[in-house]
Amino acid sequence: MSGAVADKPDTITSRHDPRFEVTLYKYVGVEGAHTLDAYLAHGGYGAAKKAFGMEPSEVVDLVKASGLRGRGGAGFPAGVKWSFMPPVDGRQRFVVCNADESEPGSCKDRYLMEDDPHQLLEGMMIAGYAIGATKGVLYIRGEYYHAYERLRDAIEEARQRGYLGENVMDSGFDFDVILHRGAGAYICGEETALMNSFEGLRANPRLKPPFPAQAGVYGLPTTINNVTTLASAVHIIEKGADWYAAMGTDDSKGIHHVQISGAVNRPGVFEVPMGITYREIIFDLAGGPKGPAKAFIPGGTSCPLFPFDDEHLDLPMEYAAVAKAGSMMGTGGLIVIPEDQCIVDAMYNVTRFYAHESCGKCTPCREGVSTWLPKMFQKLLAGLGTPEDVDLMEDMVSNLRGTAFCPLADACAWPVQTSLKYFRNEYEHLAQHGTPLHPRKDRWQS
Amino acid sequence: MKIKVNEVELDVTPGTSVIDAVFAAGHDVPYFCSQEYMSPIGACRMCLAKIGAPRKDRATNDWILDEETGEPKIFWFPNPMATCTTQVMEGMVVDTISKDVKKAQNAMVEFTLVNHPLDCPTCDKGGACELQDRAYEYGSGESRFVFDKRHQEKHHALSELITLDRERCIHCKRCVRYFEEVPGDEVLDFIERGGHTYIGTLEDGLPSPFTGNITDICPVGALLDTTSRFRGRNWEYHHTDTTSLDDPSGAALRIDTRTGRIERIKAGLNDDVNKTWIDDGTRFGHEYADAEDRITRPMVRRDGTLVETTWADAAREIAERIAGMDGTRIGIALRGDATLEEGVAAKALADHLGSGRLDTAPRPAASVLPDGAAATLRDVATSDALFVVGDPTEEAGIVDLRIKDALKGVEPAPLFPHGPAIADLRLKERMPRKREILTICAPYRTDLMKHAGQAHVPPATSMVDLLHALAERASATVDGGTPSGAWDDALGMTAAEADALITRMRSSTRGVMIWSAFVSNDPRADEAARTFAKSVGAKTLILGPMANTAGLERISVLPSHDRYDYASMFTPETKALFLASLDPAVDPKVADRLRELDLLVVHAAFPTATSALADVVLPAVTGYEKDGTTLNVEGRLLPVRAAPVEAGTATDFTGVVKQLGEAFGTRLEGRSVKSARRVLRKLLDVDAAELPTTGQPLPPVRGKASGARAVREYARATGDALIVPSMVRVEHLDRNPHLRAERGDAALRAHPATLHAHGLTSGDVVTLPIGGIPRQLRVTASEGVPEGLWLAPTLPEQPVGLYDANLAAMVRERSATAEVA
Amino acid sequence: MIELNTIRPYFEDKPDVLDEILGRYPEYGRRSAVMPLLWEVQRHERYVSEARIVEIAEIVGLTATEVRGVMSFYSTYHGEPVGKYHLQVCSTLSCKLAGSDEMCDHLEDSLGLVPGETDTEGLFSLQKVECLGSCTTAPVLQVNDTYYERVTRDELDALLDALRRGEMPTPKRAREGDNAQLGAAPLAGEAFEAGTAADAALADAEAAEPENPEGGAA
Ligand SMILES: Cc1cc2nc3c(=O)[nH]c(=O)nc-3n(C[C@H](O)[C@H](O)[C@H](O)COP(=O)(O)O)c2cc1C
Ligand code: SF4
Ligand code: FES
Repeated sequence: MSGAVADKPDTITSRHDPRFEVTLYKYVGVEGAHTLDAYLAHGGYGAAKKAFGMEPSEVVDLVKASGLRGRGGAGFPAGVKWSFMPPVDGRQRFVVCNADESEPGSCKDRYLMEDDPHQLLEGMMIAGYAIGATKGVLYIRGEYYHAYERLRDAIEEARQRGYLGENVMDSGFDFDVILHRGAGAYICGEETALMNSFEGLRANPRLKPPFPAQAGVYGLPTTINNVTTLASAVHIIEKGADWYAAMGTDDSKGIHHVQISGAVNRPGVFEVPMGITYREIIFDLAGGPKGPAKAFIPGGTSCPLFPFDDEHLDLPMEYAAVAKAGSMMGTGGLIVIPEDQCIVDAMYNVTRFYAHESCGKCTPCREGVSTWLPKMFQKLLAGLGTPEDVDLMEDMVSNLRGTAFCPLADACAWPVQTSLKYFRNEYEHLAQHGTPLHPRKDRWQS
Repeated sequence: MKIKVNEVELDVTPGTSVIDAVFAAGHDVPYFCSQEYMSPIGACRMCLAKIGAPRKDRATNDWILDEETGEPKIFWFPNPMATCTTQVMEGMVVDTISKDVKKAQNAMVEFTLVNHPLDCPTCDKGGACELQDRAYEYGSGESRFVFDKRHQEKHHALSELITLDRERCIHCKRCVRYFEEVPGDEVLDFIERGGHTYIGTLEDGLPSPFTGNITDICPVGALLDTTSRFRGRNWEYHHTDTTSLDDPSGAALRIDTRTGRIERIKAGLNDDVNKTWIDDGTRFGHEYADAEDRITRPMVRRDGTLVETTWADAAREIAERIAGMDGTRIGIALRGDATLEEGVAAKALADHLGSGRLDTAPRPAASVLPDGAAATLRDVATSDALFVVGDPTEEAGIVDLRIKDALKGVEPAPLFPHGPAIADLRLKERMPRKREILTICAPYRTDLMKHAGQAHVPPATSMVDLLHALAERASATVDGGTPSGAWDDALGMTAAEADALITRMRSSTRGVMIWSAFVSNDPRADEAARTFAKSVGAKTLILGPMANTAGLERISVLPSHDRYDYASMFTPETKALFLASLDPAVDPKVADRLRELDLLVVHAAFPTATSALADVVLPAVTGYEKDGTTLNVEGRLLPVRAAPVEAGTATDFTGVVKQLGEAFGTRLEGRSVKSARRVLRKLLDVDAAELPTTGQPLPPVRGKASGARAVREYARATGDALIVPSMVRVEHLDRNPHLRAERGDAALRAHPATLHAHGLTSGDVVTLPIGGIPRQLRVTASEGVPEGLWLAPTLPEQPVGLYDANLAAMVRERSATAEVA
Repeated sequence: MIELNTIRPYFEDKPDVLDEILGRYPEYGRRSAVMPLLWEVQRHERYVSEARIVEIAEIVGLTATEVRGVMSFYSTYHGEPVGKYHLQVCSTLSCKLAGSDEMCDHLEDSLGLVPGETDTEGLFSLQKVECLGSCTTAPVLQVNDTYYERVTRDELDALLDALRRGEMPTPKRAREGDNAQLGAAPLAGEAFEAGTAADAALADAEAAEPENPEGGAA
């Protein structure tokens, strides 16, 4: 990937490139930036105003041209998704913001909502205008109470001053946002489960088709995007599709927000151009691993893990390259696993998460992910496992792959499956000796 | 479109689910969560298959071809797909047998069994369990799950009638979906999530009139009919596929018997009628048939007491006592759930005796046959404008469910060779309901009203005026005329609402009007209803009070003159009476009259107040033990088949006529089911012996229906007690312990304010004379009853309608508070 | 059932709260109000009793069964009361790698509770929870609705002391990366100079103050 910058000098694929500027996160972390006045002071709601001067279809085309892809994990091109909305037919339409952010390793949306809520509201407004939705639904996970308060206040402020409600900013366009709190269920991040949850139902995923564009919230045409996707639209309208597309690679344009956690010296959220290498992220931005590392998960725990080696560190962060190497960009929640962390213990931790979060609708997930797999881990970690148990786990995990109703079971199977691929020795060690290769140690910094 | 299932090529209709295509191709695929007539949800993942399809080139719109074969190239989905939620596509290829698919199926069985207790030897479902079968066919036969299984409640009473074993549940969600999708009563749901998920309710019991169906559809032994638990193994049961005589809907039943007892009743499949659903009255109302006090041998009165004897003796006794009696002084009455064959027999007996005093009871004042063809239940299910007068839920539960089908607006799918669609992809969970197409009028708030767009509760006394006013308005506007407005006060709704109803019915091509005995019991109301239906162009469905009231009317089991009807049988003109399964002596005044008869012959399955007065008692079979034919509400002839129940020498009414004929020295028509059917063939042009289980529509009578009584000047109905239809037949309640435990004693419902005014509380048991019949009832507060009105369930001897309650003579038998203490 | 008759409905004297919550959703989406109604009750009563479930069901037009089905799906609604301070330790991978296991052990020792328990005074409840979305500021402890991020041993002890005194300290904001707190000292060995968020933000925030176009209070 080292050649990318040289071959295409007009694209930006490194934070070292002097042309790179932090945009979405510019005011995140800034005291007082969450108020409407502060937002307006640096040109806030200007992009929406600009969008209102365009045809909705032009807005969609602009977003398409920017190459913006969904930042909620699946990476679907945002403009294309917007264009799926059926022709306007007088029915209420919705733009839904997925602010359920529950993927372990992810926290980019929270900071953005806490510190720059109007940026998100403006993004929703632009999307709403583009798809003809006068109602926005902002579904925020229940634990994010501070962000919820900030958004609640921001919505109230915007309503009072004509930035939300009927005829926003005298544009002739009506737009308002319903803020809805979740209550602790990872599955609510899955878009159709989110809609069920919003409607006051149990949050099981729905069958697709129909897709949200045909029948989403309350069975009405709906577009759903992640917080960061929607916020990106603000800047794409403001600075143009070319500005956005100038960052990243052909496959993956624009910027992403890497959230680095685990064993690194400087964990944090970094806005980066697409195409940046994992090496640059981990070593230059996050200050390098804290002690020897053995693996990293590139995009939240739902992704297959990579060994911490040159081959994988030099991968460019772009959808195609990561997929080709066997994992996913996911949410950009990068977790570095240290050498002295027992991988079985770590994967039990991940499995326990999915076991806790399985909705229980389909059999493989309820009985495999939520019941059997954690028991296998417990057995192994208790020193009661056998080498056959490792084989059984491998087989069971392969049975979970691709058989469940929604991707949650895959999300659990992937990291476990790859850990068995790369670190099978640790599983076998536990099975043979009853003790982990890397015993537990105190990781709490005082 | 053409598709291929494991090398079998077949043509299927677009929209078909792959699972149905697989079955249509004669192959099998296991499934648990799919269920006929309910939405496919893809939850159990048992039906996975490998699916591929050709693709078209976007630019040229031609099929992309396989380089090697030159055939359209098949693009396989990367993961196995749930066949129940996937639609067929042109050129699709489905593989349900390859190694990959087998591995996935194996895995799903294994996952399904992870928490299943495998207690088949002690499980009532054993031998008829979908999981047992599928595990055997598609499982690996060994368990790799070595841990403790989830322990949960094993005998959880969801209600008095349904027991839940939470350990056995495989979370197919059939039961939960059923309640939402079929009766629309969301009284059962999943609780918790993930591996902790279980089903439960926070309601008191399962407040829905259609709960038992979940025991039929549960694929495992998690939901069981409490009345039949631990009573037998599935392979020991004798199955009888028959038709319900509980109400006029004609639902298909399967009666499971063992050693001469009915152990349980399950729903049968009749796609046109009840699909696979029955109401709780029909399902759980059978225990009386096995009651200890069945009358199994004939009895004659000797020196004041009834003593057992033989049929021949009893018949001889009767023949002797009526010899020389004036035939016109002899009455014969059948209950309205008698079969057509019994009707033929009764007619033959009446003819032989020269009596015109023949009737069925209860029989409304007006005909229960429509003018022309009745709406079919399928018409109801596909209607886009429904007007209901009455309470179909209680009168004919299946009609209630078919109305709810109409609210979903999905046309019933045609049957496949393997039966109803396993996964009809047009059905969805929580479909929006088109409530606006349904208008209901009834003199109290009915259960169905919560599903209706418009509901009106006029005073019970003004139902007739309401119908009259509507009919006037509808007639006046037939050709765009203006109504006089003279009747507006009687509408019970605003003129605008009435006009909206009329317009909706008139502009619809599939409008159906449904009315019940509330209407039929008043000939003027009936006439108004017919006028209304005609002027808006609606088909009609008339709910008779009993299963075969319409059929018996159709073959004219009727008095020769209104003067000779059932009520007239208790006047001094009558000297002898034959009463089949009727108990008029519950009315003390009638009892007094019966004592004065020269001869009282009672054909009954149980001792009753009337049999106690009889000179001859003949043992009768119940509706479960008859062979015969019935005509349901939509005019469909349906076969009734006898289940092998041990009831001594009991017979139906054809048996009575056989014995009497022998005693009279003549061979009467209708002396056996076979002989009665010869008559039926002449009357109806149908061979009743050849009827398929799903029945056959009977062409309508031409011209005016015959059963209507002459419209005399009827006084406007008055009274403060309204007798209402009841799904649970209260005359059997005492002998149905489980049903009684669930429903309590028959209820006397009144508004809380009314109860307060009389110093009563919910739960008190009172005896209240209503229309002269002392009724013992449990007081229940209900906001849905207009103030000042008392509601009690109907008896065969006390048909639906308004009566005077003698509140001064009310006696409190038990008080609610005493019971709590 | 006896309980229902004696307990006063929660929303009986709060028509405004009820109207506001129901008013958020379109008429055809009344059912959406279930979650906010549950939240409203729980915020004030620290759990949702069966009587309240029945009440909410009536308000929204559902069966109590449905409301229970919904409520029990989510992990943060409680059917039993929790302590005044509900301590929720995130225990998922990023936090685990930052020592949340040890942090939880420490809490168990300090409070004499195991996860899932509430102390006898009803002051503290301890619970292990799944990822709270604070992975880059791990380990995190959520006390009721407030996040305490990057908690150290000393800070935790001080926090417990404060809570015992009935005080909820303002959480610190120790963050790094582009969301670093305003004014935080640049880190040693900064890998690049240009355009850090903090700098830009500082400049912008200063610029914003005087020329507030709407003239509203900043
Ligand atoms: C189990 C599961 C959890 C998910 N969680 C989230 C989430 O927390 N936030 C999010 O934005 N998307 C999440 N997604 C992805 C959404 O389903 C959906 O793709 C996304 O919100 C679309 O927005 P985008 O196109 O802007 O990314 C999740 C998906 C799955 C299968
Ligand atoms: S009880 Fe039976 S029908 Fe209901 S979910 Fe469980 S297995 Fe399915
Ligand atoms: S997934 Fe259950 S039948 Fe298809």
